[in-house]
Amino acid sequence: MQGLGGLAAVSMSGATVAEAEEALTEALPTDPHTRDTYRAIVDAIIPETPQLEDELGPEHVPGGLEVELEKFLVWDFNHFHEIRLETLANTGGTDPVTDDAPSADQLELSLEPGEADSDLDALLEVDGIDTAVIDAVIDDLNDLLATLSGGLLGSSDEITTDDFEETLDFGTIEALEITIDETVDEDETGPVDFDVFVETANETSNTAIQNYPYASLFTIVFDIVATEFILLGKNEDAIDRGNEEFPAGGTFVQLSREDRLRCLWSIVDGGAIDRLDGLLEPIVTDVGILKFVVMAVNGLHGFGYYTEWSGYEDTKTATPTDRALNVPPGKVQSRRQTEYPGPQSGHAADWRHAVPGGFDDPEADELDLDSDLKGDDVLEGIGGDTP
Amino acid sequence: MNDPDVVIIGAGADGPATASRLAREHGLDVLVLEGGAWHGNEKWPKPHVDAGGTVSTDPDDLDGKLLDEQFTVLEAGANDPTFGYLRVGPADHSRAPWFRNVPQNAFLWQVSAVGGTSTHYFGNHPRGYPYAFDEQPHWPIDYEDLVPYYQLNEAVTSTQQAPMTNKEEVFIEGAEGAGYDRLDTLNVTETGWRPQPNAVEDPPDELNSNFDGSFSWDDGFRGDALAADHFQGGPTPEGAPVREKARKSSNTSWVPRALDTNENESVGNVAIRPNAYVTDIKTDEGAGNLEATGVEFRDTWSGSTVTVEADVTVLAAGCIESPRLWLNSGLPDDGWVGKGLTTHWFDWIVGVYPDDAVEDINGEPNMDPFVGHNSAVRFDKPGVGGMEDIGMSPGLVSFANYLFSQAGYSFDVEVDPDEPWDSRGYVVGEELKRRMADYRNTKALLILTDDLPRQDNGVSLDDTFADEHGAVPEIRWEPHPDDDAKRDELSRIAARIHKEAGAEHVHRCDWPPLFLHMQSSMRMGKVVDENAEAYNVDRLFVGDHSALANGVGGPNPTNSGQALSLRTADRIGELYF
Repeated sequence: MQGLGGLAAVSMSGATVAEAEEALTEALPTDPHTRDTYRAIVDAIIPETPQLEDELGPEHVPGGLEVELEKFLVWDFNHFHEIRLETLANTGGTDPVTDDAPSADQLELSLEPGEADSDLDALLEVDGIDTAVIDAVIDDLNDLLATLSGGLLGSSDEITTDDFEETLDFGTIEALEITIDETVDEDETGPVDFDVFVETANETSNTAIQNYPYASLFTIVFDIVATEFILLGKNEDAIDRGNEEFPAGGTFVQLSREDRLRCLWSIVDGGAIDRLDGLLEPIVTDVGILKFVVMAVNGLHGFGYYTEWSGYEDTKTATPTDRALNVPPGKVQSRRQTEYPGPQSGHAADWRHAVPGGFDDPEADELDLDSDLKGDDVLEGIGGDTP
Repeated sequence: MNDPDVVIIGAGADGPATASRLAREHGLDVLVLEGGAWHGNEKWPKPHVDAGGTVSTDPDDLDGKLLDEQFTVLEAGANDPTFGYLRVGPADHSRAPWFRNVPQNAFLWQVSAVGGTSTHYFGNHPRGYPYAFDEQPHWPIDYEDLVPYYQLNEAVTSTQQAPMTNKEEVFIEGAEGAGYDRLDTLNVTETGWRPQPNAVEDPPDELNSNFDGSFSWDDGFRGDALAADHFQGGPTPEGAPVREKARKSSNTSWVPRALDTNENESVGNVAIRPNAYVTDIKTDEGAGNLEATGVEFRDTWSGSTVTVEADVTVLAAGCIESPRLWLNSGLPDDGWVGKGLTTHWFDWIVGVYPDDAVEDINGEPNMDPFVGHNSAVRFDKPGVGGMEDIGMSPGLVSFANYLFSQAGYSFDVEVDPDEPWDSRGYVVGEELKRRMADYRNTKALLILTDDLPRQDNGVSLDDTFADEHGAVPEIRWEPHPDDDAKRDELSRIAARIHKEAGAEHVHRCDWPPLFLHMQSSMRMGKVVDENAEAYNVDRLFVGDHSALANGVGGPNPTNSGQALSLRTADRIGELYF
C-alpha cells in the first residue's frame, strides 16, 4: 500500500518538486475497463468517419480514438480534485472545516465483481450499500416503468433483482480498490496519496495518485446508470453484449453510440442519479457532481481533440510543465480537419474603423441621456428586482 | 512592505486599479496579495515549477519576452481547466486546480494569476447601460457618477473601437439587413449595433492584406497584430515589453502603472505579492460594528502563514472567492453575502455560411475566425441585453458551438418550426465533424442577457469538501423565467442576423450556465453601501465585480468593475485618510 503524505511532504518543502513531478508523471493510471469505457464515449462523440472521405477528403476520416483522446479524459478527471489530509474528518490534527467532511473511509472503495456470484453482489459488498438499498432502487424503477410505455421488458413486466443482476456488468474488473493509509500522523497536512489497485483476468495495476481517482469511479457509475437505462427500456438501439471494439467495458459500452450519450444525459435530465442515489453515494462522495461530470465528458472533447493536445504525443499526459509539443499546433489531426493554421504572431488583413472619427463621448456633466428607452426596447412586464 | 495603509485581497482585473489609484491620488502604501502566479515577472521565471521570489515592487521586474515564453497561445496549454496555464489553482502545476463544487450542468471559468480572469478575456470594454443604473432599482449611485471613472479606465487601457475584419463585415451585413442602425456612442440607450469598445490598441495603418513585414516589436511593429490570441493570454506584439502588449488586461495595464508609483517619491507605493492566498480577514470589535484590521494569508508554495495589519482592507478576490473568504472568516451574513450572482445568462447562436455568401460581402470566400479581435462588433438592446460576434480558435469553438448544452443531443431535439434556428443542442458524431470542417466560415453570436440578481443564486460554503484555505465554494444558479424570455428574444434576433447575412444553417446551442461574466455576488445596496464599504464591517471594502449591483444590463463587465473600483479607491481615500 502506498504511504500517504509522502508527496505532500515533498510538495511542502518546495525544494524537491522535481521528485514529486517524476512520481506524478508515471504512466497514466488506468485499467482496461476505464480505458474502454472512455474509448466508447470518444467513439460516440468524435467517431472515425470513412463515409466522409469522398466528400471532404481522407483527412476527415480518423476520429478521437486515433489520437487516444480517452487518455485526455482520464487524465483530466484524475487531476481535478486534490483531497488534503487536514480536511478529512478522521485524521485528527486540524479540525475539519466543513460540517460533513468526508472521512478516509468514505473515500475508499472495494469492489470485487470477480469474487462474488454477480456484479450486483459485489456492489452490495461496498460499504454503505445493502439489499434494502437495491430494493428501494428497484421499487423506484418499477414506479417509473409504470409511467413509461414499451421498453425492453414490456410495460407490464416488473423489474426484479435478477433483472438488475443480469444487466449490471463491470466488464473485466475482477477487483477495484481505492485505499489510503490509515496510519497517518495527526499533525500531517498536505495532499492525500490514493492507491488504486485494479485486477483483471490478464493484468493488475497498482498506482499512486495525488488526486482523487475519479476517472475509474465514473466508469463504474456509468455502468450502473446504463443498467437502469436498459431496464427502463430507454435504449433505442439493441444492446451488444459482446462489443468487440471495447472488450473490457461493462454495461455502458454495450449501448450503441447514440444510446451511450442518451444514457449519460439521463444523469443530467432524467433523474437517474436521484433514483440511484443509494447505490452511487457510497461510490461518489458527492453525487451532485455527476451532472458537472457529464458536462465535462462532452466539453473535454473540445479542450482535447480540437486543440493541439494530441501534438504532445508521448508527453500528452505528463505534468503540464513537462509536456512538449512535438507536432506543430496547426498540423495535428484535428487541425487538418478544421484548416486552422495554429497560433500566429499576426495576420495581414484589411481592416477599417466602423465609426469614422470614433465614438461620441461627452464629459459626464454634459451627458444628456434620454431616460426613456425607445421603441421595442422594453419587454412588457420585465425589469426591476426579481425575487 | 511591512506596514501598508491598505491591503488588497486579489490582483485580478480590479485590485491593481484600486491600488494604483490609492497610491497615486491619495499617497497611500498598498500591498496587493494574489493567490495565483505572476507571469512575465523576472522574479518568477518558472512560475509553475518553483516558488521564485516573494514580492515585486519594481516595474523593471516585468519582462515581456518572458511573458511570450509563458503565454504560448496554445489552446489546450492555455485553456484546459485542469492543466492550462490560465486556470484557477495553485501556481504549482504538479498540483490539481482548486476544487469548486458546481453540482449542476454548468461550467465555471476563472483564472488565478496577477491579472486574474482578465488574463484570458477578449478585451471587450463596453460601459454598462445607463438603464441598468438609472432605471433598475438596484443602484444607489447614478450612471453619471461612474462616467469619469469609465473615461479614466478607458484611457489607461487604450479602450477604443475595435477594427473590423471579414467576420465583422458579415455581422454588419446581417445586422443592417435585419433593420438595426449603427450606434456611435459609448453611453447606449437605444437598440443597434456598433464596433466593440475594446481594451486593445489599434493595429498600425500599414497592416492590411498587402502587409508582408514582421510582427515583432524588435522589428518596429506596434499595436494589435490581429492575431486573435486574446483568450490565450494575448502576448502580441511578440517581443514587446509587458506594458506595450496590445491588449490591456490588468497585468499589462494597471499592474505596471501601479508599480510605477515606486519610482515616484511624491506618491504612495504599491507592492504585489503572488502565491499569497488570503485565508482570514481579521477584525476587532469596533464601536457598534466590527472593524477590519488586516488579513492572514498562506504562502501557496511553503504553506507558511503571515498576518498583515492595515488601516483598510479591500476584498477584490472575485465573485466566487470574495464571498467564500467572507464566510470562511466568520463575518456576519444577513442573507445576501455571496447571493444575487448574475452571469449574463449566456446563449450561443452559431451560423454556418456558404463560401459565396461570404465572398459577396468581403470579396474573399472565408471569414477566418482566427483573424482579428476575438470579438470586435456587438449588438445592444438596453432593457433586454446584448450580443457579440465571436471568432476563436477551433478547440474553443468546438466546445462553445457544439459541446455545451442544456437541451440534450441534437439528434433527439425537435426544433420548433416557428423558431429561426435549424438545430439545437449538442452536436456530435459525423455531424460534429462536418460542422468543424466548416470552421473557417462559421461564426457564433454570444447572447448576453440582462439577468437580474436573485437571492437564490450564488455562492455558499460547501458542507462536504475543504481545501487548504477552508471550505470550498459551492455555486448554484438557475435562471428566472423573465431571464429566459429575454434570452429567447435575443437568440431570435441573433438567428435573424445570421440569416440576413446569408447563413445556410443556424444552430442554437442552448447553453447551460457558463460562469464567465460574474457580477454582483456582494452587491452594492445589499452587502456594501454606496461607498462599497461593508454594512456590517467597518474599514472593509469590496473592490471587485462582486460589488456591482447587477449585471450592468448585459454588457461585458470588466470596464464597469474597474471603473467602480477606481471610484471606491477615491471613497477610501476620502473616508479614512
